Amino acid sequence: MKITVNSVPTVVDTQEHDAAVDVLREELGLTGAKPACRTGVCGACTIMVDGTPKVSCLLPPEALEEREVTTAEGLDHPVQRAFAAHDGLQCGYCTPGFVVEAAAFVDRWRAEHGDVTPPRETIAAAMAGHLCRCGAYQGIYAAIGAACRGEHDDGHAAGGRVEAMEKISGLARYSTDIRLPGQLEGVIIRSAAAHALVGDVRAPEGTRLVDLLPADRTVRYAGQPVAAVAAATRREALALAAAVQVDYTERPAALDDRPGAPPVYDERSRKQAASSAEGFALPGGWDGNVRRTSAFGARRGRTAKARLEAAHRAGDPGLVTGTYTTAVQVHTPLEPHACVAHWDERGDLRLHLSTQTVGMAAEAAAKRWNLDLGRVHIIADHVGGGFGAKAGLTVEAIAATELARLHAAPVRVALSRGEELTDAGSRPGTSTRVALLVDEAGDLAALDLDTRGRGGVAIGSAVALLARLMYGTAPRRLRDFDVVTNEPPGTAFRGPGGAPLHWALEQAVDEAAHRRGEDPIALRRRWDGNRKRHALYDWAAGLPVWRDRPATGSQTGRFRRGVGVAAANWFYFLVPGTEVELEVQGDVVVARTTTQDIGTGVRTVIAGILREELDLPAERIRVEIGRTGTVPGPPSIGSRTTASVGPATRDAARRLRREGLADGRKVVGRRHRDRRGYVTPFAVAGMAVGRGFSGSVHVTEVEVDTRFGTVRPLRVWGGISAGRIYADGPARSQCEGGIVQGIGYALYEERRIDPVTGVVLTANLEDYRIPGIGDTPEMVLHFHQEGWEHVNGQGVGIGEISTIGVAASVGNAVYNATGWRPHDLPIRPDRVLEGIHR
Amino acid sequence: MTTPSLDDLAALGREFRAGGTDLMSRTVPSREYADLSGTPELTGIEWSADGSARIGALTTVAEIAEDALIRAAYPALAGTAAGLATPQVRAAGTVGGNLLQRNRCAYFRNPAFSCHQDGGDSCPARAGTMLNPTVIESGPCLAPHPSSLAMALIGYDATAEVRGRGAVPVRDLYGDDPGADHLLAPGEILVGVGLPVPVPGERAAYHRAIGRAEAEWPLVEATARVVVEGDRITLAAVAVGGVARTPLRLPEVEAALLAGEPLDRAAALAADRCSPSPDAAYKVALLTGTVLEVLERCLDD
Repeated sequence: MKITVNSVPTVVDTQEHDAAVDVLREELGLTGAKPACRTGVCGACTIMVDGTPKVSCLLPPEALEEREVTTAEGLDHPVQRAFAAHDGLQCGYCTPGFVVEAAAFVDRWRAEHGDVTPPRETIAAAMAGHLCRCGAYQGIYAAIGAACRGEHDDGHAAGGRVEAMEKISGLARYSTDIRLPGQLEGVIIRSAAAHALVGDVRAPEGTRLVDLLPADRTVRYAGQPVAAVAAATRREALALAAAVQVDYTERPAALDDRPGAPPVYDERSRKQAASSAEGFALPGGWDGNVRRTSAFGARRGRTAKARLEAAHRAGDPGLVTGTYTTAVQVHTPLEPHACVAHWDERGDLRLHLSTQTVGMAAEAAAKRWNLDLGRVHIIADHVGGGFGAKAGLTVEAIAATELARLHAAPVRVALSRGEELTDAGSRPGTSTRVALLVDEAGDLAALDLDTRGRGGVAIGSAVALLARLMYGTAPRRLRDFDVVTNEPPGTAFRGPGGAPLHWALEQAVDEAAHRRGEDPIALRRRWDGNRKRHALYDWAAGLPVWRDRPATGSQTGRFRRGVGVAAANWFYFLVPGTEVELEVQGDVVVARTTTQDIGTGVRTVIAGILREELDLPAERIRVEIGRTGTVPGPPSIGSRTTASVGPATRDAARRLRREGLADGRKVVGRRHRDRRGYVTPFAVAGMAVGRGFSGSVHVTEVEVDTRFGTVRPLRVWGGISAGRIYADGPARSQCEGGIVQGIGYALYEERRIDPVTGVVLTANLEDYRIPGIGDTPEMVLHFHQEGWEHVNGQGVGIGEISTIGVAASVGNAVYNATGWRPHDLPIRPDRVLEGIHR
Repeated sequence: MTTPSLDDLAALGREFRAGGTDLMSRTVPSREYADLSGTPELTGIEWSADGSARIGALTTVAEIAEDALIRAAYPALAGTAAGLATPQVRAAGTVGGNLLQRNRCAYFRNPAFSCHQDGGDSCPARAGTMLNPTVIESGPCLAPHPSSLAMALIGYDATAEVRGRGAVPVRDLYGDDPGADHLLAPGEILVGVGLPVPVPGERAAYHRAIGRAEAEWPLVEATARVVVEGDRITLAAVAVGGVARTPLRLPEVEAALLAGEPLDRAAALAADRCSPSPDAAYKVALLTGTVLEVLERCLDD
């Protein structure tokens, strides 16, 4: 078939492919177009066909015949420079699609309207067919606006992240884009039953099958991996997988959390339950499917309980109670979990892996396959988002590695969007019962939180426990429970435990303020001992939008505006053993450490420090991360990357400056200890808990349409106290993305499971609804940078603190607008209509 | 490239592909379809001497939304086309494909389930969980009809030109059959749609009730066409979608408008035929709200 791609006439074979995107990627090696959803929803595969943007996952190959096709790789357009300059990207996986569409829009807009900024809604409507899971929409609005004004017509892109143009031009290679000679495609066969003992697994003669079952041969949720197979093409691999017959002896499944539900585990199998907490689950005792994880403060807890019971008996108006629930939120990074595994001629294992934890994945692989660590090579040059879901050695890597060994060939396993939305990471759902007592002086007298976390077959809910860290030292009883079910396992998700805690706690505190008739910011300022957050309260209280907020419940019209505030608290984690290696190669200084850029911008952080310390122009610095084989570095989990890498980079740069930039010179910088050391006396799993807590205060303005029950976030102000900001652009983008994800959590995102079969129903990006560009409020960030002088580098992580309080600020804003307080996430139209008309 | 004839395509005995936005997302990976794209009989917009239009089935949704003549003559149709899906899907999706697409029920689309729609004899959603079911009783299937353009065309009493059968009312393409989203027989091809002579002075509005700002299947949608003479409504056509197995006209609302009832009273009548499950009761409020919304917008300017 003849097509012209990026001005080059070419002939391609389309026999093996069902969609145009696969022809471009597999036959022509043009991997800028990403088939991230395969349902035409996410837009990551957008290309231009005769000048019109189209989603290439829905086009048959013949639709390209005799056409002029332009992909991101062939685009030469000012909007590309605008995306770089305005940082309209994070992980970059959705970026080529956005840029292709934006180029067509900018040209059309300028032809029709001249070089003026389009209205925000016009940009949103034009970009409605694209999704960015990182939430880099504010930068995208800015980039498109600037390109429409003609600001990037000539010259190159100034500012932005160091790998921006590589991502924008579609040349950045992600794990899904790797194609090695002789590479096979692997697919995972998944359980059709929610709970069953697996008997025979019968495959056609000669099939090489990888067993993925646990030792007890029991599947405990629908979608659990059973086995994996590979073939030359994905089409053949799927056909082979369909020919494999799995015998299930079904057992009763627990698909709700009622007492008396069938047991998910027996006493022996409980030990194999995965943890949804970051790292490990706290020890706890079982009662049927309920596992009590931790209880904080037995003695003070009894005091709290006694005070609350007395207040209840007395009808004390200072007693505030409520139950707050959250839905399961799925990570669903735009790049799915993907691995290309290859055993090389020396018997070394090479993994192209989409991971947040290059180092940890290598260690786990070395252990699993009994290899010296030096013989496991991980490559993760670009990672299309993670948010907690891509930590350690994940199942696609295990399947690909085993298949590669069986077939003696490289094997790629990339999850489909359906798999990604079913069994590749989710934030457990929760139900939290809160009781707090305010005494006559207006102080917090007692706090009681019980959280039941529902992370499917996983355990390790730690939500209520985190309430120990806020609002002084009043007696409190904080208890966490896991309710296990035959549903896919929960996983740590950006601020695990923090997001559901703040949804409950920050609304209860808001309620306490309203009961007292006190300004909710003023009450928090009185209760909260965190001095850095005091600075944020003062900033928030001075915002005109806060001062001019309406009286709660005072509005009666169709559209009701409301303003809500929520504070949040998070840890300062770091990896004390982090090192950064610098090598002078001719004119260029190369920086290396075992870390990865999943969209956070750590490449840009490293390059910025080197520029500053060594006074070098950008082109003389190269950051090589995303690979093993160098000095140790941090995983990108738990907001610890920059706080670990930053000081080590500076140390290395200063050493190099002292020793001189001679060609071939190598130095290693270390992450020196903080003044006063750490909370943890020694590192656990390489990690330390540093001294001090990061803080946030979010002020959110919403408009509630009482006719349709919709909540529109209009503007959000995000105040963050995490000390020194290393790289302003990426830091802002990450905090904006945190707001966007928090809005998703608050208003839209909800994994739904069929209550009869346990099958995930929200298995595509139409039914699992993440925020789009049109759902993005205008955002203003405020960084309070003082208070971290004891920390080497004076700054800590922002990834989690920037998102965990957002949902409660939306909830409190809805209450301010309507007088009705939402208790259940997401705040859907049906809930709003029921709430306000009750 | 030679284009096969419609006879050849029909003889394949396969499902037809037009723009592919529904079919390709439902059946990946598969090449088991008869591709209609490029067949000349199905393309183009023609205008008759009386001012009426005939729209070829392969006309894209974007062309309908952007065509100045269509916008002037049939504003409710153009407005609906502009308000559905996303720019890329509108650029690829066609009028014919939109009318004959399959429903979006998560159970129907998930291969783990069998239901009335794929040859089964039950509806797993009834024992399951469904946030967006029908609220107007129309048989054992709970999936609302997905076609926004069908709703708009029914609002115009448009006709569908079916190969070998001639013109049939668009509304007759649909029924309560729980096993199908349209009533064309296998091998039958929708060639185009015919619209009536435009009405001078028509005011029109479309509204799609969705949770997010853009890019969602409607919880409820409605179009209204109204002609006002003096202070009287002399023409009223109200059609709704997302609430039943087929798109519907609401003659009771139209009659009330013609009788001079206030808009909110007329819109409220839309609730009378609803019998929602408890979980879907909110959609009745959305239905009356959506009808009121389009009526208010028609009369605003």
